[in-house]
Amino acid sequence: MAYEATFGDVLRSQGVSRRAFLKFCSTTASLLALPAGTATAMAEALSETRRPSVIWLSFQECTGCTEALTRSHAPTIENLMFNFISLDYHHTLQAAAGEAAEHAREEAERENAGKYLVLVDGSVPMLEYCSTVAGISNKAMLEDACTNAAAVINIGTCSAYGGIPVAKPNPTQAVPVGHIIKDKPIVNVPGCPPMPLAITGVIAQYLTLGKLPELDHLGRPVAFFGENIHDRCYRRPFYDRGQFAETFDDEGARKGWCLYKLGCKAPVTYNACAHLKWNNGVSFPIQSGHGCLGCSEPGFWDMGGVYESVATGKFGDGTRLGAAALAGAALGAGAAVLARRKKAHVHEEDAG
Amino acid sequence: MSLLEFARGPAIHASLIILVAGIFLRLLGVLVLTRGADLSRPRDAFGNFKGYRTVFSRAWPSSEFTTTTIYQTVMAYVFHISTLLVVVAIVPHIEFITSLTGLSWPGLPNFIGVALGTIALASLIALILRRLSNPAVYNSTLGDYVTWIIVALPLLTGLMAFAHVGLRYETMLALHILSAALLFAYMPFSKLMHAFWFIFSRAQSGLAYAHKGVRI
Amino acid sequence: MSATTATPSVFPSFAEVYQGLAAQIGMLREMAPQPTKSEDRRLKGAIDKLIEETNADEAVWLESCIHCGQCTNACHYFQSMQDAKYAPMRKMDLYRRVYQREISPLRWWYKLISKPVKLKDFEEARELIYDSCTECGRCTMVCPMGIDTASLVHHMRTAMVEAELVPPELAALRMEQLHHGTVFGSSPEALRKMIDTIREKTGVDIPLDKESAEIMVLSSAVDLVANGNGLLATARIMNHIGADWTICSDGFESANFGLLSGDMSLWAKQVEPIVAAAERIKAKTMVIAECGHAYPALRWNPMLRSGDLPFEMMYMSEFLGKQAKAGKLHLTPLDARVTFHDPCKTGRRGGAFDEPRAVLNAMNADVVEMPNNKEYNWCCGGGAGIFLLEDATKLRDESFKIKIREVNETGAEAVVVSCASCRLNFESGRQKNHWDKRVESLVELTAAHLDDAKGADASARGAAR
Repeated sequence: MAYEATFGDVLRSQGVSRRAFLKFCSTTASLLALPAGTATAMAEALSETRRPSVIWLSFQECTGCTEALTRSHAPTIENLMFNFISLDYHHTLQAAAGEAAEHAREEAERENAGKYLVLVDGSVPMLEYCSTVAGISNKAMLEDACTNAAAVINIGTCSAYGGIPVAKPNPTQAVPVGHIIKDKPIVNVPGCPPMPLAITGVIAQYLTLGKLPELDHLGRPVAFFGENIHDRCYRRPFYDRGQFAETFDDEGARKGWCLYKLGCKAPVTYNACAHLKWNNGVSFPIQSGHGCLGCSEPGFWDMGGVYESVATGKFGDGTRLGAAALAGAALGAGAAVLARRKKAHVHEEDAG
Repeated sequence: MSLLEFARGPAIHASLIILVAGIFLRLLGVLVLTRGADLSRPRDAFGNFKGYRTVFSRAWPSSEFTTTTIYQTVMAYVFHISTLLVVVAIVPHIEFITSLTGLSWPGLPNFIGVALGTIALASLIALILRRLSNPAVYNSTLGDYVTWIIVALPLLTGLMAFAHVGLRYETMLALHILSAALLFAYMPFSKLMHAFWFIFSRAQSGLAYAHKGVRI
Repeated sequence: MSATTATPSVFPSFAEVYQGLAAQIGMLREMAPQPTKSEDRRLKGAIDKLIEETNADEAVWLESCIHCGQCTNACHYFQSMQDAKYAPMRKMDLYRRVYQREISPLRWWYKLISKPVKLKDFEEARELIYDSCTECGRCTMVCPMGIDTASLVHHMRTAMVEAELVPPELAALRMEQLHHGTVFGSSPEALRKMIDTIREKTGVDIPLDKESAEIMVLSSAVDLVANGNGLLATARIMNHIGADWTICSDGFESANFGLLSGDMSLWAKQVEPIVAAAERIKAKTMVIAECGHAYPALRWNPMLRSGDLPFEMMYMSEFLGKQAKAGKLHLTPLDARVTFHDPCKTGRRGGAFDEPRAVLNAMNADVVEMPNNKEYNWCCGGGAGIFLLEDATKLRDESFKIKIREVNETGAEAVVVSCASCRLNFESGRQKNHWDKRVESLVELTAAHLDDAKGADASARGAAR
């Protein structure tokens, strides 16, 4: 590889104007809450940046995260950026197969030791051979790939928090990446799938500023996951007024009232869906009439029914309460009967 | 398991079990005790029945006591009514009750819920201030203060969660549910049982006095 | 009142009666019995007594208190002393502790967290159980839970008897009544002597021990040994209405120091001869002398199945009221503004409100009610035996000032009472405060206003002529 094209070359070859590129940079910079001057610096740095080596590991996943990035409606700077990075290993996208593919990964790891990024989608089964690639268990491949990595970026909820594979009864004893890799910086970009801009935003910041973004207590970039969807939701005024859709086909639903009672998890979900939206800002689930599933939160699949509202108590039916009432009544009556005996006994003593 | 999951799962479940079992335990443990008999002849044959009137008539103190009781009576009414409304008329609470009982009814808009919660908390503070400023009248015990705190916490955390003040929403919500769980679990073993006792206590006295022809 | 002065002053005035009795009460302390049982047995006896006495009613009341403080200001002892310990709710604290540890459904838990009850606790509670509670029940009227504190205090008194902690005066009188049936040195002989004296000095005849009579009248020790006017007045009224009445020498004592001290068995024992005498003479009505606590002791005695008895029991004021309503009492007008003080035991805790007022109305008196009256009447501070307790003197005197204020507000020149304890306490308060009001007994006032020209005895005399 005599000449490695810069990102600027890639963009120019795709006919993207400098104006559009600057717009992308300023959006990203503002989303990441970087200082105002950063956008230009980022544009400069990005267009000069050499293709960074990225190893993308896919474990127990559905490829939805990759789809979200690559199957955008129109070519965007986000997916162009993916065209730009040196995606040295991605067993869905890469042309190479079999031993050649694994060889490419090993080579990239060796050549870019200490510099390459590991992107992971999918959770890792601890029942080791439930999922293997080229005969290598996911866990072994993850540990091997991370040995010389600069950082790990978890793409999607499965690698970040376990996601659907971890859902009860978790037959493969799956765990998120963070349970195995303890000695590398990890950024979680959860979502099922995550928002493309969140993925590229993290990578862009790493490439230009050389550091990972500020994270919240769940390891997510604050810039994208700092705000509650409920707080940003355009249907919030209906919530405040107490106007709720009761079913998916009632008048409230048609009028676009709040979906809280239909199980919307927006109040406890932190993501940028409500303000960045999907598909170039076209829409997001709540706008299309379905409550938020809370897909970017840990354990989202096990947090009760999709259509159970946030306020619901998660403990099944009232059988145990009925049993408790009976037990309490029996204990109380028993205590009283014993007390009556005690009274009678004392009375006899008194009389005798 | 996140704090919220713990709160609305095992914590609230356990507290409800304690609440229900505890209420029945304490009610039956007392009501099943022997009933003492007053063998004396009542003043008039059907007079005793009139005693049940006291259950209702004691809802407001007689004018003879107005000076000493008006502040507390009004505050207590404000507190009880606003708290009751907050408990049964804001949507998240209705959702919780619906999930437990299947019953459902329309809720109040948020701003009314916030107003009611604020009023409830303010009246509770007004009551504790009076308790603190008249120690001789109230003879407060540690239990009185503990009960006050346990009653105030769900109101405070509920308002904070509702208004998105303080910690993250799901944490405030979890704290709110946990404080409600604490209240539930504490209720059967504390003076909060007066929610049930008042009926029996008033009726008993009403009957005892009606037996003698006295209307109390 | 002109009529009062017309009564021949055979007996000393009530002011003198009070002074004489006060001196006698002073000696009671020395006669008080000392504890005979070991401390452990006293404590166990007290706790066992409470266990025995605690039924669902008491348990509910003990469970219900929320320390809301409403009762505090309703109590005359707190109002006058402004001391936290006199708050009614405090008076059941020890009882509640025993209840919680012994009977309550959570007793296993309370045994872990509460201190064991000691005899010292009962000693400390004595002031609250006796000196500062007349069991008047005014606190019940304001309690949002309607807790009957007075009855709980009464149960505590029964425990105090077992703990041998009854105040010396009540203990002495209890022992006297236990052994002699009467108190203050009264006796059937004293009764006979009094009846003879009345007959000799006034010509009023009192039928003693008739074989059968429609009305059996009770007297009380205070009337027999100190205030002859009480019995005289009763006799004059009975004769006025032409009643077939008698007094039984084997059942005349209204006073019941079993009830006052808390000794239930003495209470029951004391009632037996009275009931037996009434049944023997086939009485239809038993009239209880103006002795407040005698009313609950007999009429509202929970141990006595009085519905099955062949006679009716009524308080003197009730009897007078019924006679007045029936038009049998012919009274001369009382040209004065008066107010009526309902004794706790016959009013709030007895239900005899209308009858005494009917008597006053029959005299055409200008009856003005006190601001707090009937069910809400302020206790005079002397009931439930407290008038006798030297230790309660300050409490009594201070709380009486509430009564002075209440009576003064009516603008009445006299306050009519219908209870010997109230009357003694009013007299004490009147003298100590140089109060310008007169204190009248309902029965004596009625006797003084009998219209002799119209009574049954007058017509009988006329017929005889």
